[in-house]
Amino acid sequence: MKRPETSPLTPLTPAVLHILMALAEEDRHGYAIAQEIETATEGEVRMGPGTLYGTIQRMLGAGLIDESPKRPRPGEDERRRYYRMTPLGRRLLEAELARLARVMRVAQDKRILRGPGVA
Amino acid sequence: VTGRVQRIYRTALALLPRDFRERFGEEIATFADDRLLAARRDGALSYAVQAARLFADLALTIPREWLAGRADANDRPEDNMDILSQDLRFALRGLARRPAFTAVAAATIALGIGANTAIFSVVDAVLIRPLPYVQPDRLVLVWGTQGTQTNQGVVFADYLDWRKTNRTFADLGAFRGQSVNLTGGDTPDRLVGAFVDAGFLRAIGATLERGRLFSESETEVGTKAPVAIVSHEAWTTRFGSDPAMLGKPLTINGTTFTIVGITVPSMPVPLFAPTPDVMMPIGYYPNAHGLDRGTRGISVVGRLKPGVSVAAAHEDLEAIERQLAAAYPATNAGTSADVVALKEFGVAQTRPRLLLMLAAAFVVLLIACANVANLQLARGASRTREMSVRAALGAGRSRMARQLLTESVMLSLTGGVLGLAVAFGLTKVLVSLIGSQLPIDEHTIAVDARVVAFALGASFACGILFGVVPAWKASRTDLTGMLRSRIGAGLGHVSTRNALVVAQLALSLALLASAGLLTRSLMALQRVDPGFDASHLLTAQFRLPAGKYDSPDKIWTMFDRTVHELRSLPGVQSAALVRASPLSGNGESYPATIEGRTEVAASEAPQVQVNSVTTDYFRTMRIAVIAGRDVNETDRAGALPVTVVNKTFADRTWPGQSPIGRRVKFGDDDWRTVVGVVGDARHFRLDEAPLDQAYIPHAQRPQIFTSIVVRTAGDPHSSVASVRQALWRVDKDQPIWRLRSMDEDLDAVTTSPRVMMWLMGIFSLVAMLVAVVGIYGVLSYTMSQRTQEIGIRIALGADARRVRRMVVAEGARLVGVAVALGLVASLAATRLLRSQLFGVEPRDGVTFLVVTVVLASVAILACYVPARRASRVDPMEALRTD
Repeated sequence: MKRPETSPLTPLTPAVLHILMALAEEDRHGYAIAQEIETATEGEVRMGPGTLYGTIQRMLGAGLIDESPKRPRPGEDERRRYYRMTPLGRRLLEAELARLARVMRVAQDKRILRGPGVA
Repeated sequence: VTGRVQRIYRTALALLPRDFRERFGEEIATFADDRLLAARRDGALSYAVQAARLFADLALTIPREWLAGRADANDRPEDNMDILSQDLRFALRGLARRPAFTAVAAATIALGIGANTAIFSVVDAVLIRPLPYVQPDRLVLVWGTQGTQTNQGVVFADYLDWRKTNRTFADLGAFRGQSVNLTGGDTPDRLVGAFVDAGFLRAIGATLERGRLFSESETEVGTKAPVAIVSHEAWTTRFGSDPAMLGKPLTINGTTFTIVGITVPSMPVPLFAPTPDVMMPIGYYPNAHGLDRGTRGISVVGRLKPGVSVAAAHEDLEAIERQLAAAYPATNAGTSADVVALKEFGVAQTRPRLLLMLAAAFVVLLIACANVANLQLARGASRTREMSVRAALGAGRSRMARQLLTESVMLSLTGGVLGLAVAFGLTKVLVSLIGSQLPIDEHTIAVDARVVAFALGASFACGILFGVVPAWKASRTDLTGMLRSRIGAGLGHVSTRNALVVAQLALSLALLASAGLLTRSLMALQRVDPGFDASHLLTAQFRLPAGKYDSPDKIWTMFDRTVHELRSLPGVQSAALVRASPLSGNGESYPATIEGRTEVAASEAPQVQVNSVTTDYFRTMRIAVIAGRDVNETDRAGALPVTVVNKTFADRTWPGQSPIGRRVKFGDDDWRTVVGVVGDARHFRLDEAPLDQAYIPHAQRPQIFTSIVVRTAGDPHSSVASVRQALWRVDKDQPIWRLRSMDEDLDAVTTSPRVMMWLMGIFSLVAMLVAVVGIYGVLSYTMSQRTQEIGIRIALGADARRVRRMVVAEGARLVGVAVALGLVASLAATRLLRSQLFGVEPRDGVTFLVVTVVLASVAILACYVPARRASRVDPMEALRTD
């Protein structure tokens, strides 16, 4: 099987994975990213601002995301900056999700976990 | 509340590495605001939880980002953090599993850290932070000295000679503060004025928002120019930030000045807090004699040349003074100059008090740490099995110790963050209590980044301090022994725990003894008879403009009319004028010459506190006339110059003889005949030794400044408006200020000792409480470990009373050792208090006895609870447990 070029960076830390998934749909500012993650995980993952921006800083450095030209809507806090996923980030997310899917398949094959449709 | 949490959070962001903070600080703060805003809608509890989460997140981010900053760009800094964050998660889980323990421990630490941080915020502002000047280390104050008297004003003529011949100063500047009268508005107003020269403004590095400083020629005596610089604050509050202020006229003390400059906001000026409202050339200083040779009138500030020490500057000026003494022996014999760093001025009194309070707060923190260490030890003992299992599974000892240490540090950091909240409130209370007594602008005291860093640093140190012993003990777990059986588990810790409890009790005793001494001292101070009756007295001050009242006649006419107006007010029983009212801070002393005695140099002569009074002063103050007569209407200008002296002066100067009819001279005043003797009155402080005092009739030497004293039938405050109106009936342009009751002045002079007593009292009670909880905890624990033994004793026939006695005796043994050590510690501690005590010795037996009895009884009472529980052990139950 052809190994994706991004493999040295995987597996992703949960924080990076969640942020990439939150940015997959649209560009968001920090607080919106955290809210999206919280909603998506049904409140299981709550990221504090320090953790979030620490991770964002490293993702910016690795070229996984960059600053979006999108500006706050009128009436919103003007200090907000928006972030978007880079093509590299998207490839990495896809590679990671594919890897996770393989892991899930193995788990289901071994009947460790009952996947959807198996029950 | 929201604002405060956000403020603390923003302040704490300063602890992040700089790059990271500059890039993301604003966003992080905005994020936190959003979270808090959302949480607020869900109620107070959810708000508190959210705030705690935010701080926990920040507490993890700070070390992580510092580590990340040092890591290579390609590294994954998460790896560096792996072990730490694993430990942290483990620690958090461990703490969350024991909410009661965590709450008690964190609250204890929060109290200790809160008290320390609040006091540190004051200590930092007063003693540590550099003064807000450019190169503040080079700024000094210069005082005159005369014989043994230091901190005297400087003679203007001498100052001019210093300026000409010194080799050590980059700049020397003269200044003099005095309230001035501003007229031209709706009501006359009092401004805080400073009369300065150009050198002064240069030396302090005065900076203006608009306009210009004074030129050299504008401030030379004799060539005075009517120019003024207004403070930014006066400009905004009094002149409505008028943009066209420069060039406008300002009528001060009857002279019209042109405004040439406006200072920057809160510009620092030595000896002034806040900035004086208006600065004028020193040539306008209203006291006509103030600038002559032989009259000490001005203050001097200097900026040293780079690299020059205070001592070198001192020597330089002393050398010049020696030459001056040779040239002008009449005025300059025995005089010299003293140089002190500006930073040192004013803190001499405050420093020991603040450091004592900091030390007391530190002891409370130590006691709190000992308590938490004890709790940890108890837990460590019950966790022996867990540790043994982990060790058996291959966990290294250092890793296990590190795990426990992480838990302690997490715990104390939680306490530290809570403590910051305590500190915020406590600092406000402290500043409101003692702010006015401090030598700095009280508004500069705040919980800022430095203070937050102190609090977190102190909590971190605490975590290490109370975590290291339990961690070390736990990591020394004897594998095989512990897995085999549980009997006796933890008893090995008992000696350590006993030692900690003894230390706690001993330290508490030292604090209690200090608090006891301060209480006795304050009681002694409050018992001091000031020599006058302070109740129902209203006081006020005013200063006439010298230009308008340019002769003694005009001044006296004004004073006389004012007294008559005051006496005719309804509700006023009697009224008088006195130049310096007691406990107001005003007052002047002169060397006295006694007729018939060999004349001595001015510096050797007895110093007498001289005051000018009108008739009825002694009646109004209720100061007894002991011999001779009061000042009366016949003591006019031109009549025989007279004086009334106090008992101390009379007894010291003419022991065993009547002073009536003798003649004395104060400074270069006229010879005055003593016509009466009155009782002593405390003038500057309640704890001062009785002063030599003399009163001269106001009518015989009227000076432009005076104070009002009025005895009222009811509450003196209700007469404030009518007293003001009475003065304005005499001169509608005359400002009047400091209208307050004598009770307030009396109260103000006991503020510092009172605050000290309360703080020490609260600290010592908290310490005692924590220590007592400590001994209770240790005994309970020991007894629970000895259930079997006690069960056997009871089974063998020991009755409940005997068991109780046995347990209490064990507690009493600890208390006994603690009291012995505590008394030794107290003797050492209270010696440091000596300078703060009045009317009580540091080794006061009564105090030591009382606090020992109190501490011992409370501690033994605490032992009684576990004793009762032990005596109710069911022997069958006890023997059945494994």
